[in-house]
Amino acid sequence: MPESCRLQPARDMRPAALEFFINGQPCKAYPGETVATALLACQVRGFRRSTSGTPRLPMCNMGVCHDCAVTIDGLESQRSCMVQVTVGMHVEVSDEA
Amino acid sequence: MNAPMNLKADTANAQVAVDCLVIGGGLLGSAIAYYLAQAGASVRLAERSQLNSGASSQNAGSLHFQLEYRMIENGPEAARKAAEAMPLHLDAQQTWAGLEAELGMSVGAVQTGGFMVAESAQQVETLRQKVELERQCGLEVELLEGDQVRQIAPYLSNNIVGAAFCPKEGKADPRRCVLAYAQAAARLGARIDSGLGVADLRRHGSAWQVTFSDGSRCLAATVAIAAGAWAGRLAAMAGVNLPVSPVALTMTTTLRTAPLIGHLIQHAGRRLSLKQTGDGNVLIGGGWPSRLKHQDGIVDLDQRPELLLSSVSGSLSAALAVVPELSRVSVLRVWTGTTALVSDQLPLLGEVPKTQGLFIATGGSAFTLGPTYARLLADKILGRNSTFDIRPFDPRRFGSLTLA
Repeated sequence: MPESCRLQPARDMRPAALEFFINGQPCKAYPGETVATALLACQVRGFRRSTSGTPRLPMCNMGVCHDCAVTIDGLESQRSCMVQVTVGMHVEVSDEA
Repeated sequence: MNAPMNLKADTANAQVAVDCLVIGGGLLGSAIAYYLAQAGASVRLAERSQLNSGASSQNAGSLHFQLEYRMIENGPEAARKAAEAMPLHLDAQQTWAGLEAELGMSVGAVQTGGFMVAESAQQVETLRQKVELERQCGLEVELLEGDQVRQIAPYLSNNIVGAAFCPKEGKADPRRCVLAYAQAAARLGARIDSGLGVADLRRHGSAWQVTFSDGSRCLAATVAIAAGAWAGRLAAMAGVNLPVSPVALTMTTTLRTAPLIGHLIQHAGRRLSLKQTGDGNVLIGGGWPSRLKHQDGIVDLDQRPELLLSSVSGSLSAALAVVPELSRVSVLRVWTGTTALVSDQLPLLGEVPKTQGLFIATGGSAFTLGPTYARLLADKILGRNSTFDIRPFDPRRFGSLTLA
């Protein structure tokens, strides 16, 4: 998993990074970020796959389109844009990451 | 074709004359229209709403040939009574297997086997008696122990101590079956009217005069009531009382998930039917009640029944107990629907008592048995000999309810 690619100026103001897992790999996120934000910052390029197998990324970012659905702590099809990332959270995405 | 079917000559006043008017555009109605049209009869089908808008699409598409929980929960005597319908189950097994070829369209029929599972020694004993009874009636079914069951279906819980396995059980897609039958019927010349209810049904000379909701009329040599929850009301319109009642049920579907459940699952001790669709959704039902809405003290069939939270939690608990892996899947949607049950749990299939030329098919497992009911009723309407004896289901067993 590559380094985060967030905007830099906020660095000093934000709380310490937390560790969570994408497909079992340890990754960093910041408290208050949604799972979708954390996944994008970790350069995940396929959150889920459509029935035809196409990788999908968040579109609406407000819980409507379901394109950001991932498995969170074992529960399938959770909208990652509506859930805040937490310490030790396990997220499964379709990407090889 | 029987002689009385030739009606057109002696009905000078008729706006329209058909050999048979079919009331109801669900699985039964569409299939009856198809089998009649195939035999060369002139057929008109009237559906008050849209095709496939009632129980035919609201149900979960189980193809179950074992006796259901509702048939065995009231003891061996009731089960023996229900087993009288087993010849229909055997016929339906074959009919579904050949249906796509017959209609030339996919109906999503998959028959990879079904389990009725047991979680206690007592339920295993119930299954043992059930399997014995079913085998006597010719059904291919066997009783398996828990480990044998999990060899075939590893997704089943370790709590399952035994199951009856019927290799021909499975599922079909309720969204496709009715349209497949209706299109096939239309290709054969049947006229299909949706948005056309029946307002009046009365004898007119040697025929039936049907008045529709838009005021138009039709003369029909015969009428087939295939109206599901409305069946009893239509019989009443013709002056006949039949003990068929609307029953409101509950269904749940989960979001799509990877292929997990390859069989139809039922339960010997609680209400449960469980299957996974080709798209990956898991459908959960099994006879959990919802609540019929009422208007002026009368059941209002135009309103969707009210959802009971206890039925949602009860059906999901049953599903989780049987397939623990479902805990990772979320519910997508819950809905209610209305089907029809006859007081003695057997189908109504044949001529309505105290009438001539008025037929009915309803009750029982009318999705699984729908194609079979329809073909047998079409045979009856056409005056053909049935492939087997349907007298146990003859509506005339309730003739005493009607004073004529």
